[in-house]
Amino acid sequence: MMAFLKILLDNLRKGPATEAFPFGEAPTPPAYRGKVAFDADTCTGCKMCEHVCAGGAIRFAEDDDGLHFLIWHNTCISCGLCEYYCPTKAITLTNNWHLAHPQSEKYTQIDHGTVAQCRCTECGTAFLPAIPALMDLAYRGQNDRTKALAGMCPDCRRRATLSGARS
Amino acid sequence: MQSYEIPVGPLHVSLEEPMYFRISVEGETVTGLEVTAGHVHRGIEYLTTKRNIYQNLALTERVCSLCSNSHPQTYCMALEDIAQIAVPERALYLRAIADEIKRVASHMFNVAILAHIVGFESLFMHVMEAREIMQDTKETVFGNRMDIAANVIGGVKYDISRETSAYILHQLDRLEPILREQIRPIYATNRSITARTKGIGVIGLDHCIDYGLMGPVARGAGHGYDVRLAAPYGIYPQLDFEAVSYPDGDVWSRAMVRLDEALVAISLIRQCLAKLPEGPLSVGPLPHIPAGEAVAKTEAPRGELIYYLKTNGTDTPERLKWRVPSYMNWDVLQVMMDRARISDIPMIVNSIDPCISCTER
Repeated sequence: MMAFLKILLDNLRKGPATEAFPFGEAPTPPAYRGKVAFDADTCTGCKMCEHVCAGGAIRFAEDDDGLHFLIWHNTCISCGLCEYYCPTKAITLTNNWHLAHPQSEKYTQIDHGTVAQCRCTECGTAFLPAIPALMDLAYRGQNDRTKALAGMCPDCRRRATLSGARS
Repeated sequence: MQSYEIPVGPLHVSLEEPMYFRISVEGETVTGLEVTAGHVHRGIEYLTTKRNIYQNLALTERVCSLCSNSHPQTYCMALEDIAQIAVPERALYLRAIADEIKRVASHMFNVAILAHIVGFESLFMHVMEAREIMQDTKETVFGNRMDIAANVIGGVKYDISRETSAYILHQLDRLEPILREQIRPIYATNRSITARTKGIGVIGLDHCIDYGLMGPVARGAGHGYDVRLAAPYGIYPQLDFEAVSYPDGDVWSRAMVRLDEALVAISLIRQCLAKLPEGPLSVGPLPHIPAGEAVAKTEAPRGELIYYLKTNGTDTPERLKWRVPSYMNWDVLQVMMDRARISDIPMIVNSIDPCISCTER
């Protein structure tokens, strides 16, 4: 019993073991898996994050404006699979864990991003471009020809590639 | 003496998990036990066949909180067996580190609850506070206190840099003396603990065989079966450790097994960090999983965890089934509780470290 009294005294001397939050800052490690952030500029539209999302928090929809990315944070479980499987890391888990909100706002805890379509340099058809990050990943660097081809819709690209092979 | 039947549970028998017993008593003595199971059946096994193999990584992790790393790890091992994937060595080391960190936290939680049931609240607080060192480690290394999300198909999705390695060693240096020099001696010798735990809930070696007992429950009764040694997987054949075993088979022995195993786990983490080789973390993001079936087993904190997986060439499993150690360990409660006092019921239930959410999934 005496041994434990010493532990008690030591613990008493050390003061509270809990963090002072909300009156002080709670330490958050850099690896902390918090609120999901999405960067439309580096998204390739492969939809792998939607496929692996265990909670069904991620949805994609496509219309004339482009590819719409939607995440409902309330059903996100912060497993980090979207970030792991994202080829360009357009989706990341931030250190932000300040997700508390009133019940009335639970259906509006949504982030939305649009991957814009671009016009084909040849025929003007709208299509989802291959972003530079994806081109770098696929070709290990780009040259003028790959850059020119990346600006074309799949049909024109096919035609241009074929004519390039002929000449 | 008059006989009664008393209901115990379904809430707060010893843990905040629903266990429901109908207990026959004569005076203060337990004469019979009937277990009513199924209060937290959520149909997760069925759900896994409605989700793809990637989503199931997160789903299996959420079957249970304390063995949350064992489930996805065993699931990945079954998938890797089907796909004939050789997991990179660095990933195997990282898997062992993740698993052993979880084991330390799980075992310390159970022995803390023991102190809580005894009524030794200051000891409960002290063990839980020491356990926070491990919880902080998990949050810093993996990004979450419980669901560490370490495993992916073909490897792991976290890495340990030199700084992280130093941090983990620092945390172990903080925890180990507390565990070895303060907590373990108290559980070993303190009268408040030993008076309530020694000779309580006794089982013998023959019960371990008859009931197929697993984990610290079996090892606390002299049956030194540890999957990491009996059917080695991952990197465990290259690590130096022995199965912890105590002969008496009472509540106290099971607690001591857990405390000693937490110390063994700390030694295993140190060995892994010292030997951690360079190399890739996985075989690549999207390995093809052909049709096939496989069985994988690991040593979860509660004992042997078995996964059976059948795939059909698509990325949705055809059948996924697991057997958890608590299933058998639960059944032996009728032996442990026979002729026990009513006041010892929560103590005995806690001593098998039941994981109801795993068992009833």
